[in-house]
Amino acid sequence: MAEYLINARGLQCPGPIVQLFNQSKQCAEGDVIKIEVTDPGFKRDVQAWCKKTGNELIDITEKDGVIIATIKKN
Amino acid sequence: MRKERVVVIGGVAAGTKAASKAKRENPDLEVIVLARDKDVSYAGCGLPYYIGSIIKDRKELVVREPEEFEREQGILVLTGREVTRIDPTGKTVRFTELNTGACHEVSYDYLILATGASPVLPPVEGITLKNIYSVRTVDDAEAIRQLVDEGAVQKAVVVGAGFIGLEVAENLTLKGITVTVVEMAPTILPGYDEEIARYIQNYLVEKGVAIRTSTRVCGFTGNSEGKVQGVKLSQDVLPAQLVVWAGGVRPNTKIAKEAGIELGPTGCIAVNEYMETNIPGIYAVGDCAENTHLLTQEPVWYPMGSTANKTGRIAGLNVAHKTKADFLPGVLGTSVIKLFELQAARTGLTEAQATQKGYAVETVLVPANDKAHYYPGYRQIITKLIAEKETGKILGAQIVGEGVVDKPIDIIVAMMSCGATVEQLARLDLAYAPPFSMAMSSTILAANVMLNKLQSKFTGMNPKDLVTALEKEEIAVIDVRTEAEFFVKAIPGALNIPFNQLTNRLDEIPRNKKIVLVCKVGKRAYLTLPTLKKLGFADVAILDGGIEAYPYTVE
Repeated sequence: MAEYLINARGLQCPGPIVQLFNQSKQCAEGDVIKIEVTDPGFKRDVQAWCKKTGNELIDITEKDGVIIATIKKN
Repeated sequence: MRKERVVVIGGVAAGTKAASKAKRENPDLEVIVLARDKDVSYAGCGLPYYIGSIIKDRKELVVREPEEFEREQGILVLTGREVTRIDPTGKTVRFTELNTGACHEVSYDYLILATGASPVLPPVEGITLKNIYSVRTVDDAEAIRQLVDEGAVQKAVVVGAGFIGLEVAENLTLKGITVTVVEMAPTILPGYDEEIARYIQNYLVEKGVAIRTSTRVCGFTGNSEGKVQGVKLSQDVLPAQLVVWAGGVRPNTKIAKEAGIELGPTGCIAVNEYMETNIPGIYAVGDCAENTHLLTQEPVWYPMGSTANKTGRIAGLNVAHKTKADFLPGVLGTSVIKLFELQAARTGLTEAQATQKGYAVETVLVPANDKAHYYPGYRQIITKLIAEKETGKILGAQIVGEGVVDKPIDIIVAMMSCGATVEQLARLDLAYAPPFSMAMSSTILAANVMLNKLQSKFTGMNPKDLVTALEKEEIAVIDVRTEAEFFVKAIPGALNIPFNQLTNRLDEIPRNKKIVLVCKVGKRAYLTLPTLKKLGFADVAILDGGIEAYPYTVE
């Protein structure tokens, strides 16, 4: 089980969801991806993405304008 | 020598402002304020926040007490007095002391009407039940807050989706109450175009506020204690232990009308730019008075606290100096509202209003950020600009988002007040540093997109028109975003061809239909345009505002 960290701060168009999408393609089941994002639209996007892919959103926090989402690939 | 006397009828915002200004400018005047309510000089716009306990104590809402006016300014404020008659010939005002029923008469040299506006409660079944309130006075807000804080309310219905209605809905929701807003019109928030109103509606629904548009309240049901229990709609009954009626207000003009003071086409007291009525020596200010629209020069009615204070000040000045010392050329109907973390602001004409007035308009819908995109904490705001096609003159704007919207709207207001064009807006030297703005501010960006449109560099399609065109199968929607973005959220029926794959996948694009390009905010679609044009596609439009500003069904 590996853990990956993505710094997607400052990204907005096409946006951090693409980074997450690409990383997840290379991940194995059970791997954890932690992604740091400043695009406020990401909160909604990551929830929709997890729902559609069946991946698990373990945690999502926002501090000082930075959203940190932790996702487990299923 | 007898002092000249100014009588002011009404003591909330405009009335007390007029009285204060008149006395301040000319201390030789005797100034008397007659107010019906026991509270004067209170912040009517703050009432929703008192309900939500954001404003803690009742006294915080009241700017000044009647005694303070007398002690500090020498203005006599008489509360609990209802004026019943104005005699413009004898220059007298008759009023009743509400406590005792005693009638009095007072003479005046100048009269300022600041009678305000009152909620219109319809004569439907059960309207007199307990726990149905409007939100106009401090007492109203107090009663609602008490009921809520006692824990007597689990479900509430707010009737009317205007400013006050939605602000009350927000504050009740934050107190843990399940709120349904019922609105007669097809969209919430009058003064906003459909796609913006819908965007705001979606946000409120996401925050847990139920909204029923195009819905009429038929009556109310009550329990054995005479308390409201349910709100009857045409199809069903909504359970509610509290009803807040925010279904609109009407100007209080009865005594003015009976005295021969002219009313305007809006039903308010007609005034010129000096706040003078048709009768010399009588002025009208605040919510009871009509306004002039700065763009159309037509009579309008915007009962706003901001305008009330201004018109009060003008009448005070003009009375004090017996000249036309100050005037208000008109208003743009500017307003701003906060709902949870969302902010919305508007000014001027909506696209619908401008079109109805016969203007040939161009509009843009431009998502951008309120700060630099690399500065954490930035938020998106969507700017809609409405301009006259021929001249580029700015006719109106609406801005919505979780970011700062009051600054950009005020920039546009300032420019519109000078009759500026979009081009002039685009060239402003605005303040910039990453924590405050984008290097090209959202306003300048929107102005530039508008210029591109006015110069026919591209054709746009408004979200609401896209919905209709899709239903009629008149268009093919090509989404040029990446596969990942498309996967998360897309317009039903759209075809995903990421913009870097376009030339390889040409055969998939229909040749017999208008093409509408979609991306996140509009930029990638704009960049795709030349490629498609070169390949022989003539009829191509871009979805205004991209998927970000699209408030209809996505999947």
